[in-house]
Amino acid sequence: MPHVLLSDSIAVELEAQEPWPQPITLYQPYEVEQILLPDNANCLAVQAFLKMCQLNFQIEPRKNAEFMSPSGRVPFIKCGTKLISEFDGIVTHIASKGVSLSDHLDSAAKVDMRAYLSLVNNVFVNAELYICWVDTAILNAVTKTRHGSVYPWPLNHYLNWQKRREVIKKLNVLGWYNKSLDEVYDDVRKCCIALSERLADEEFFFGKDKPNELDALVFGHIFTIITTPLTPNNKLAMIVRNHPKLVNLCKRIENSLFSPQAIDSQTNETLEFKN
Amino acid sequence: MGIVHAKEPFGNSSGIAQSPKDNENKHDESPTGNFPTLLNNKSRIQKEEENAQAKRIVLQAVKARVDKIHVDGLMRTKDDIIKPQVMDLFKATNFEDVIVRASKVREKLDALGCFRQIGIYVDTSQGPEATPDGVEVTFKVSEMKRLVGGISTMVGNNEGSLIIGARAPNLFGRAERVQMEYSYGNKSSINFNVSAIKPFPQSLYNAVLSGTVFCTTHDFPWSGFKQNDKGLLFDMEFNQTGTSKHNVQYEAAFRNITCSKQAAFHVREQCGPNLKSALRYIWTIDKRDSTIFPVSGSLLRLTTEMAGLGGDIGFLKNELIMQSNWSPFEFLTFQLGLQSGLLSTISNDMKISIADNFFLGGPLNLRGFDMRGCGPRYNGNSVGGDMYWAAAFHVYTPLPFRPGRNSFGDLFRLHGFINGGNLSNFTFTHDLYSENMKIFTENIRCAVGGGIAMKLGNVARIELNLIAPLLFTRSDVLQRFQFGIGVQYL
Repeated sequence: MPHVLLSDSIAVELEAQEPWPQPITLYQPYEVEQILLPDNANCLAVQAFLKMCQLNFQIEPRKNAEFMSPSGRVPFIKCGTKLISEFDGIVTHIASKGVSLSDHLDSAAKVDMRAYLSLVNNVFVNAELYICWVDTAILNAVTKTRHGSVYPWPLNHYLNWQKRREVIKKLNVLGWYNKSLDEVYDDVRKCCIALSERLADEEFFFGKDKPNELDALVFGHIFTIITTPLTPNNKLAMIVRNHPKLVNLCKRIENSLFSPQAIDSQTNETLEFKN
Repeated sequence: MGIVHAKEPFGNSSGIAQSPKDNENKHDESPTGNFPTLLNNKSRIQKEEENAQAKRIVLQAVKARVDKIHVDGLMRTKDDIIKPQVMDLFKATNFEDVIVRASKVREKLDALGCFRQIGIYVDTSQGPEATPDGVEVTFKVSEMKRLVGGISTMVGNNEGSLIIGARAPNLFGRAERVQMEYSYGNKSSINFNVSAIKPFPQSLYNAVLSGTVFCTTHDFPWSGFKQNDKGLLFDMEFNQTGTSKHNVQYEAAFRNITCSKQAAFHVREQCGPNLKSALRYIWTIDKRDSTIFPVSGSLLRLTTEMAGLGGDIGFLKNELIMQSNWSPFEFLTFQLGLQSGLLSTISNDMKISIADNFFLGGPLNLRGFDMRGCGPRYNGNSVGGDMYWAAAFHVYTPLPFRPGRNSFGDLFRLHGFINGGNLSNFTFTHDLYSENMKIFTENIRCAVGGGIAMKLGNVARIELNLIAPLLFTRSDVLQRFQFGIGVQYL
């Protein structure tokens, strides 16, 4: 379809002409009653990234954020007239405007960073999806009620079923669906070990002074995993808490970026619990 | 098509309501009468004598009493649904009455949807129980097969699709039927529709119950979104008289709205699934002689829809459609069409989706404007409004010099028209009345034009028009040349 390509290139042209910075609006599902673990991690990662870039943005909760998003996944941001979805797309877009957190890195470090980004995306995201949609205990206790909370009966049941089918299809393709819960925990543990080793005793993943997108993404996932109450036993959080380096990184980023009043109490609670 | 056979000759002059077949017979005869024939004088005189004799018989004066009614050819159809349909015929008192009532009975039998063919035979009654004026009426029917189906293809709406249809008429012998249609498009859109229909012809109001399960996909590029509906529809129809009809419907639909890539953000905000659960009441009075090219009579349809019995969509929607026809001469018909609608919220918790809004414009709607070409727009996408009105005044004439008269040529009409309307949103201000009455005074759209209209199978209509828009606003999308095909028209 030639006209799609054409319109795409026109959009790119137009985008180049648009002034910067523009007001950014971030669209995501309702945090309190609706959002699920994987989406929350991604939204938080984007929020952290935007704050690290010192860009001002507004958070706009919408119950149909997932359906509004051009790629079908949350979060997405609206810059002027342009819509960009998901963490990677947003990072690329912001970089194209000349705001980048990883410009100072040499090419080897950049490749390294990309490898870690995709490690986090592969392991944490899939593990979170597995926990939410495949593990029956959490599916019934948490996921179904939250995901369906914004829809009327009987639409909530249908959409839960539909979403679960989609997620299972995706996990099946990636070879995660056939894993047991213990295998999933094991993968997460390995990923945490790899990240801890990389972090070592540094302040951030790449360099002492400045966080970059990998820090944002890891923060999003780790923070969400340790603060989200999942019944009956939150084994995933236990695993992550066994890696104090990562937890401390989270704490540092949280204190430096987010207003402590908003989430501090929650964090302290969980971190104390760990200690 | 049944043919009325009578032993006694009768003329056409007595003003009986003729079946279409009779009309055709008449027309078939007339050319041979006018033709400079090779008939010899003798036979011509004979014919004229016969005609003169026939004219003297007034059918109303011929007493008749229906002694017996036979219905021939019933295999699986139960007697109890046929009986009430034909009972009316026993009330006939003269011969004209017999013929009129017989053709009405045939219409009723036809409406049951069980028979492929229905023929009427009228004979004098014979046998020991025959009365002096007695006649016997026989309906020869042939039932439909148990399963009727077909496969066809359709191109339209930027998509080609394959349609598979099947029908099981007269399932249990009491005119129940199940019908289904499934279409698969090349953009892998699936539409299907399964309905079960059960008429109650014996009941007082001639009720028909039907239940439908449907799944449809509609693409609205003018508004930048695609709508997928899955749902149920229950319909109760009461046909009190031939012209007045009441429908009470309940619809529960799961609707998914997906927007196109370049859609305006206002449209994008509407994306996602919603559930509509609505009760609808439709009252139709249709006194027109034909639905597509009526010559006389008028139509009134009132629709009230209330959504919000469960689900997350809530509104109250009222719509009025009127049409009136007047023919001062045989070759001239004036038609006035009027439509209006009002959509109002019923609760703050329930929202109204873009799919529920009214839209205006299109080749069979407000001509001169593109599909959904009028009213509020965001970034080139029509988003619709809460209230609208549209009116059209048509003048129809047959084709000049009447080519193909009484056959192919009757499918066409030339028409000139002027149409206008407006679509806007209901505003809540302190001066509610005058603020909302501005829809009739400000930003009115109007266009005049003319063209050719064609009737397609007595259900749809095709129009090819040349239009000059007179009044419009800057954001409207105008079209000077329009081609339209559709079932409903303004």
